[in-house]
Amino acid sequence: MDHSLADPALWHRIQFAFTITYHYLFPQLTMGLAWFLVYWKWRAFRTGDERYNRAARFWAKIFGLNFAVGVVTGIPMEFQFGTNWAGFSQYAGGIVGQTLAMEGMFAFFLESAFIGALIWGEKRLGPRLHFLAALGVATGSWLSGYFIIVTNAFMQHPVGHTVRPDGLLALGEVWTYLNNPWALVEFAHNQFAALVTGSFAVAAMGAYFTLRGTYAEQRKLYLHAGTLVGLIASVLVAFPTGDAQAKLVGRHQPATLAAMEGRFEGGQLAHLAVIGQPNVAERRLENPIVLPGALSFLAYGTFQSYVRGLNEFPQDQWPDNIELLYYSFHLMVTMGTVFIFLMAGATWKRWRGTLETSPGVLWLLLLAFPFPYIANTLGWMTAELGRQPWLIYGLFRTSEGYSKVVGAGDAVFTIIGFVGLYFVVGVMFLYLVGREIVHGPETPEGGVHP
Amino acid sequence: MIALWYGILAFMLATYLVLDGRNFGVGILHWIVAKTPLERRQVIAALGPLWSWHEVWLVGTGGVMIMAFPRFMAAAFSGYYLALFLVLWCVLLRGLSIEVGGHVNDRLWEAFWDAVFFASNLLLAILFGAALGNAVRGVPLKGDGTFYLTFFTNFAVTGEVGLLDWFTLSVAIFFALVLTAHGATYLVMRTEGPVHDRARRMAHLLWMVTIPAFAIITMLIGRVRPELLREIPHRPLAWLPLAISLAGAIALVTGLRASREKQALWGSTFFLFGLIMTGAATLFPVLFFSTLNPAQQLTAADCAATEHGLWVATAWWFPSLLLALGYLVVVQRHYSGKVNVAKDNQGLY
Repeated sequence: MDHSLADPALWHRIQFAFTITYHYLFPQLTMGLAWFLVYWKWRAFRTGDERYNRAARFWAKIFGLNFAVGVVTGIPMEFQFGTNWAGFSQYAGGIVGQTLAMEGMFAFFLESAFIGALIWGEKRLGPRLHFLAALGVATGSWLSGYFIIVTNAFMQHPVGHTVRPDGLLALGEVWTYLNNPWALVEFAHNQFAALVTGSFAVAAMGAYFTLRGTYAEQRKLYLHAGTLVGLIASVLVAFPTGDAQAKLVGRHQPATLAAMEGRFEGGQLAHLAVIGQPNVAERRLENPIVLPGALSFLAYGTFQSYVRGLNEFPQDQWPDNIELLYYSFHLMVTMGTVFIFLMAGATWKRWRGTLETSPGVLWLLLLAFPFPYIANTLGWMTAELGRQPWLIYGLFRTSEGYSKVVGAGDAVFTIIGFVGLYFVVGVMFLYLVGREIVHGPETPEGGVHP
Repeated sequence: MIALWYGILAFMLATYLVLDGRNFGVGILHWIVAKTPLERRQVIAALGPLWSWHEVWLVGTGGVMIMAFPRFMAAAFSGYYLALFLVLWCVLLRGLSIEVGGHVNDRLWEAFWDAVFFASNLLLAILFGAALGNAVRGVPLKGDGTFYLTFFTNFAVTGEVGLLDWFTLSVAIFFALVLTAHGATYLVMRTEGPVHDRARRMAHLLWMVTIPAFAIITMLIGRVRPELLREIPHRPLAWLPLAISLAGAIALVTGLRASREKQALWGSTFFLFGLIMTGAATLFPVLFFSTLNPAQQLTAADCAATEHGLWVATAWWFPSLLLALGYLVVVQRHYSGKVNVAKDNQGLY
């Protein structure tokens, strides 16, 4: 692929990468937070305990702001398949269109019907229907995630398609397409990662109120739910889902696995790099600190397994930015490992009853909440950079997929528009969420905390 | 199968334009019918909790388009590149203005988002109107089935046309006018007090203006694409939506006269819906006319997914529609009648 700045493909890629990365900052929180709302609404509904309703009301406002920005930044995503990736839409729309259309029909109608009622309609709906509204929104957001992940999984590992006489792809077996093994693993990995983002946010809020000495009633709920879900989700992200994902990459995208590890020479007893900088021009990993045999074991189950290196693949099948891919993957794994230790420590302290009097751990919980966002983003960068140079792995190259009628001038124009608009949206979002946090949840006395 | 999915696509687009169109209309009107900040909150609350359910019809239309007619989606979206991004940005700003405009109890904050609400809705009405005008006029379609539209060229309706010319601009203004009238009819039903009375006056006035405007637009269509109007008598499929449109118009006029507010809204809804569907039924099977070469066309069959794919989609699309309508009914029940600012206020505290 041409890498010069004059290549329109580059600008189409940058626009998609920017808009999808920005967009996904919001759904990852709402998909995780949704189940906290469902849980609190359910507890309130069953026990009549107002503490849970107060928790749900406070978080529903933050949820609502995230949801709103998620929706408005999400709509451009579907349309960019056509505007910027017309080649891809024409080639694969007959199959990926199925899930894109299902997402709208099954997931978005469900979410959008109940989101307004969930955020603003407690008085109108009554406790039962209000709980169901929370459940509807949570279900809708996860369904939407599944349909999108099936679409992405098809790009990673195409199954269930047929080729038409004119060369375009068409739907073959719909169940094969929907039950793509890649999609099942990717969905589980991604959804637990969303729960990590949600639970870290809830735990951080609990830590913040505890360190400030405010909202004694609410902070307990947040710390409890946040650390417990945080620990479980952090573990499940790594094992079995992350592990299974890496094995799928090893089996179906061996060049990608080699690039993720900065591995140029093939061989048995393949090491896992802990630290090191890939030097692609010289085809080696510099300053490596490695775990011998670990990659063989993780990818294929035994230390003796042969892991191929990039040298065994023609260079036009290498991911086109090995450096970025390598760092994305390694930073994601590092953060994921730290998350497990942090949440295990916090859960241990809470179980002992000393979490609220351990300022060190509370500070860590407070400062940790941005990192799941980074780890989620790095995970998606690993998946999408690793897929290169293919748009649909093995079938269709990225350089064939962009809209040939749209010049770089128009793409740069819309990138500038998105950057400006999303900057304003981001500032406004932070201001509004900040206001909610400063204002805080309701207190048992009915008023708000001074 | 192809005809069915052409129909479903038209149905979804028409439903979107009718449902969200009334929100566009409300947005265009809200400075005229609401004079105080409280009245403006009343107008925005009148959109109800389901405005984003309306917006989903647009996303659903996009999804169905790529699934059923991938080549059409590819050609249309890349061809209308700049116009579509304007639409997307307006949709984004409009959504934010509804969601966050009421969050901060501050005069400047509200005034800013009210202005955004007005401008984005107006622009959306005009852009979608221009898109409908483009469907009738055609686009500079080349031999390979692609095209690229700039915003404007020389404002003529043949050759290397742009998005806007004298014809598409007329359709756009007409469409914005009709949607404003439609929005006024909705506000009459959902509000009370001074807003209600002003909306009522606007509805009467705007629908009166619509009658001559409708005649003019029909004449213009007769000039730009005479075969469409000539085609209607020979198309039994177009008669049904035409009848729906006519019945809607009658219900609208009598409803407005007798102050049967709900009937008037149903009337204007079906009037518009029928009109767009009539257009689609007469255009079928053409998706794009070419302004460069009259013989060149992009038809539904050129663009369609395989028979098998469309069958599979038929199996899930109808159940999914029933579900979507089911959610609507469940939620709508709790929000019928006049809007109550105290109950439906979107201020956070």
